[in-house]
Amino acid sequence: MLVQARGSRDRYCIAGVGETEYSRDSGRTTRAMAVEAVRNAMVDAGLGAADVDGMLSYQNNDSTFAPFVASDLGIRLDFYMDVVGGGSSTEALIGLAMGAIEVGMCRTVAIFRSMNGYTEVRIGGTGARAAAPVRGPDLAQRPFGMTSAGQNFAMTFMRHMHDYGTTSEQVAHVKVAHSKHASQNPKALLTERVTVEDVLGSRWIVKPLHLLDCCVETDNATCVIVTSAERAGDLRSRPVHVMGVAGRVSKPRVDFHWAHGPVSRVAGYYAKDLVFPMAGIGPEDVDVTGSYDAFTFTTMLQLEEYGFCKKGEGGAYVSSGVIELGGARPNNTSGGHLCEGYTHGMSMVIENVRQLRGTTDDYCPRAAEGVHTYDYAPGRCRQVKDAEITMNLGWAMPATGSALILRR
Amino acid sequence: MPEPVQYRGMTLLVPDNDSEWKEYFAEARRHRLVMRRCTGCGLMRYPPTHACPWCMALGWAWQEVSGRGTIHSYEIVTQAIQPGFKDWTPYPVVLVELDEQRGAPTPDEGLRLVANLVTPDLRPEAEANVAIGTRVRVVFQDLAEHLALPQFMLADEPAPGRVWRLGP
Repeated sequence: MLVQARGSRDRYCIAGVGETEYSRDSGRTTRAMAVEAVRNAMVDAGLGAADVDGMLSYQNNDSTFAPFVASDLGIRLDFYMDVVGGGSSTEALIGLAMGAIEVGMCRTVAIFRSMNGYTEVRIGGTGARAAAPVRGPDLAQRPFGMTSAGQNFAMTFMRHMHDYGTTSEQVAHVKVAHSKHASQNPKALLTERVTVEDVLGSRWIVKPLHLLDCCVETDNATCVIVTSAERAGDLRSRPVHVMGVAGRVSKPRVDFHWAHGPVSRVAGYYAKDLVFPMAGIGPEDVDVTGSYDAFTFTTMLQLEEYGFCKKGEGGAYVSSGVIELGGARPNNTSGGHLCEGYTHGMSMVIENVRQLRGTTDDYCPRAAEGVHTYDYAPGRCRQVKDAEITMNLGWAMPATGSALILRR
Repeated sequence: MPEPVQYRGMTLLVPDNDSEWKEYFAEARRHRLVMRRCTGCGLMRYPPTHACPWCMALGWAWQEVSGRGTIHSYEIVTQAIQPGFKDWTPYPVVLVELDEQRGAPTPDEGLRLVANLVTPDLRPEAEANVAIGTRVRVVFQDLAEHLALPQFMLADEPAPGRVWRLGP
């Protein structure tokens, strides 16, 4: 692919990654979890409190804020911001961190997301969120019983089935692949491998989504640390370079994703033309993908929209074996949101960083040293051999997405 | 300040200063489905917003539309998120594309609304009758003196093109 790379390529790195346990019973505050995740990422990078001077987070009025987390860890900040948002924020904030460093506002930025997504503010929308008064833009959907993410996105999924003949069986393979990967992941909440029949036999939630087409609400915190390539080179872990980033790229009339057609088109249609030229590569150059799998369908839609297959052929693509470990381009090697745990996108970036380092935390005894068996039987290895380039496909909703291309 | 409206366990708030929705729902209570039409370029838009997404003009006037359209997409909710909808499951939510202004100003545009597909007595329509491409017409569900929900019911008309629904 002949393109002109832009100026930021390879000049910034992800220097550290960290997370808490993925659970459905954290028993503690989002502040406590965020502190642990940020600290884990700092230790991973070999950074002390004096070495981190920027902090970013994202949330939906359900979490702690950067000043609390920084204070707990003894970090004095030159820059911080807590933004509203869920999915697609990780990649967007990595880009913002690069910009803040570029203009000299700070030098090293910790980005976190902390959520009691199961025990406090249920991500599926049940509990307090379902009972909230309905006003303003919510009047266009909620009075009609269209509230949760699944209910909100199902219009897109159903229209894709209509437009292209995509089947439930095809997209079930996304869950099958991610469950296979989660069986190699000691951190995953759901480690049991499932079959297409398991997915199709699970109860309907909102057609065309079965229970096993949906991700798993989780308590957790996650963190990535961004710094310049010069500084990253001196740190503890092998730096991973940012080749390209696109943040919250949107379809027209984004307030309601169904307002602008085609309804079966998602934001990657626009984001791909930013991120691939920036990175100077094309989809064929990517070894591993991490896609926002709030639902099986979201992975299928994004892989197709970013050009890993032709538009409309996503169903055939995800059911071909190519996205499984051992396939040509594995997707969500940690098990992702469908199996590892739901993090609003950060965990898939963390996983890709570890893939590029060669230190994926699977069951291989010497995984931390980068020694792997590449045996993808259950309970063994999930490291992709010689992964050079990864790509994250972040999703807020059908009309908004982000993207991140990393290299080792 | 009008009283909040209670509907299926939800509190619907449309205060006097809701400059987007108040008149829209009040017109629905008069059983008129209205869109905002730009006084600059003449194009209609939904939701009822304050500037024209096609020409950025601020001027607009309400325009009644026929309330006739086609199901563009749909879903069947089998597990209610809002407790007040539990006794309605399985219920269809439809994305209706109105007859007016289809494919304008670009082929990707249309006046699309989210609603329930209901029977004439305002119960959820049977799943077997919900399909993309099916003709529908508006029906108003009165909830209060100042508010009705525009819903849709099957129109007794042949589908103009392909009809598709999710298999069993």
